[in-house]
Amino acid sequence: MPALELEAITKTYGSGEQTVVALDDVSLQVDDGELLLLMGPSGSGKTTLLTVAGALLRPDRGVVRVGGDVVSDLKPREVARFRRDRVGFVFQHVNLVPFLTARENLLAVRELGGGRVDAAAKRRADQLLEELGLGHRSRNLPSQLSGGERQRVAIGRALMNEPALVLVDEPTSALDSKMGRQVMELLRTEVKERGVASVVVTHDERVTDVADRVVEITDGRITG
Amino acid sequence: MVGGALVLLVVLLVVLGGFLDGLTLSQTGAYRAQGERLWVLSQDSELQLPRSRLSAEVVEQVTAVDGVSETGGIAAVSTTTSLPGSDELADVVVYGYELASDVLPTPPAAGSAVVDRRLATLADVREGDTLAVGPDATPLRVAGFVEDTTQSVPTLWVEMGTWRELATVANPAGALPDGAVQALVVTPAAETDPEDLAARIDAATGATSTVDLDSLIDGQPSVAQQASTFQGIISVTFVVTLLVVALFFALLTLERTPLYAVLKALGGRSSDLVRGLTAQALGISAGALVVGVALALAAVALLPSDLPVRVTGGRLAIIALGTLATAVVGALFTLRRILRIDPADAIG
Repeated sequence: MPALELEAITKTYGSGEQTVVALDDVSLQVDDGELLLLMGPSGSGKTTLLTVAGALLRPDRGVVRVGGDVVSDLKPREVARFRRDRVGFVFQHVNLVPFLTARENLLAVRELGGGRVDAAAKRRADQLLEELGLGHRSRNLPSQLSGGERQRVAIGRALMNEPALVLVDEPTSALDSKMGRQVMELLRTEVKERGVASVVVTHDERVTDVADRVVEITDGRITG
Repeated sequence: MVGGALVLLVVLLVVLGGFLDGLTLSQTGAYRAQGERLWVLSQDSELQLPRSRLSAEVVEQVTAVDGVSETGGIAAVSTTTSLPGSDELADVVVYGYELASDVLPTPPAAGSAVVDRRLATLADVREGDTLAVGPDATPLRVAGFVEDTTQSVPTLWVEMGTWRELATVANPAGALPDGAVQALVVTPAAETDPEDLAARIDAATGATSTVDLDSLIDGQPSVAQQASTFQGIISVTFVVTLLVVALFFALLTLERTPLYAVLKALGGRSSDLVRGLTAQALGISAGALVVGVALALAAVALLPSDLPVRVTGGRLAIIALGTLATAVVGALFTLRRILRIDPADAIG
């Protein structure tokens, strides 16, 4: 069973003559432990695909399955819980909570939706930060971290709730090439070790070799 | 920034509240000196002691009401007194009274007075001194001091016979015949409901208004006017506090909209965000309260001692609760904006 399955997804914006087809009958599967790179020009629909896959947007047509469960029909309250428990996000602009330390940023996602920060959660946060090479920075605020370190904390945050799927939006856009590569390799290591499926949206062709598979999208259609 | 503004508003609230309570307490010391007893005044007095007259017959009627444990006459007259070692006169109110209380001792012997401590702060008045009171300089020996009995001006407390002699000279129109008093204070018998007793007294006499201490104080025009003025200013200050907090959190929410979108995308509920915002508002206002109250107490301590400022625990509790509640309400003004944040905005 694929970790992520998009089946005949269509998503449009606007109406009438202003209608823009962001995703046009897109089907895609990503397996456990697979790192898929989604590439394409601006406006091609790759970000919309990511938001639909993460249940941030509801498709007009088609079915989204994560771990075999249909998520495109979930109610709003169920969607929030699904995102918290099953999906990890790494955003382009990172957006860590500025007044929480790196460790607290990881623990915060456990608290979202009424979760409990117990000893196991603390151990997991410490272990993740250690794996990401941030053990010595766990008590630093985001403002005290470099761009690469912040991105690594964001990866840790995405993995904190042991998701089945990690969705990553332009992880290297704000980093130099060396730092960007380090972050991508680290992401690959985590994905492989944990058997998590991952979709990474990027423009950065220098990191394509890190992926298991590269998918191109143009005008809302998978083209390669 | 908002913390600093809140600190200043808390200082303002504490000082304003201190003036309100100081003024109220300094004008009601003689009433409060009777403790929680009921006050019986004539019906047409509008709760003004100088306007009240209770005849000997009414006094007997009140004393006979079931549930009355004890009654004591009370009467006041405004006049002046000499001050030892000074050519100046001081305004005083001389009270005749019959019942001791937690504040007042048993009425002193004829020709003696128990003196409000405030008078001792105006001049070097000591126990055993003789004051020359009223237009004919009636001599009154100082038998002791009592605290917190000021009624705008210092008070002197004498037994009723001495009071009648003084009042006849100081205010002939206000003099009372034997047996008559301006008002009575009534101690209810054990297990007697004061409200019921007050109604029974008024029904029995048909000519009295019987009220508790709070009602008597609230019924004083000067107290009511000051209270309404200060309450108005204090209310406006709370409104300003509300606006400051609301504006701050509106700006904060605007700045943090991308972050809140991320937290929602990560599975956070709007209620999680609102709870966090409320906790921040409470934390900031609690910190501002601690600093603001400390600064206000220091400022009040530096004010001249003759200014009627009193910071009471009750007032501080009201300000603390009011500030915390105002901060929470102000923070919740951003609720609609938070609810409308779309988690999809976190991407792209």
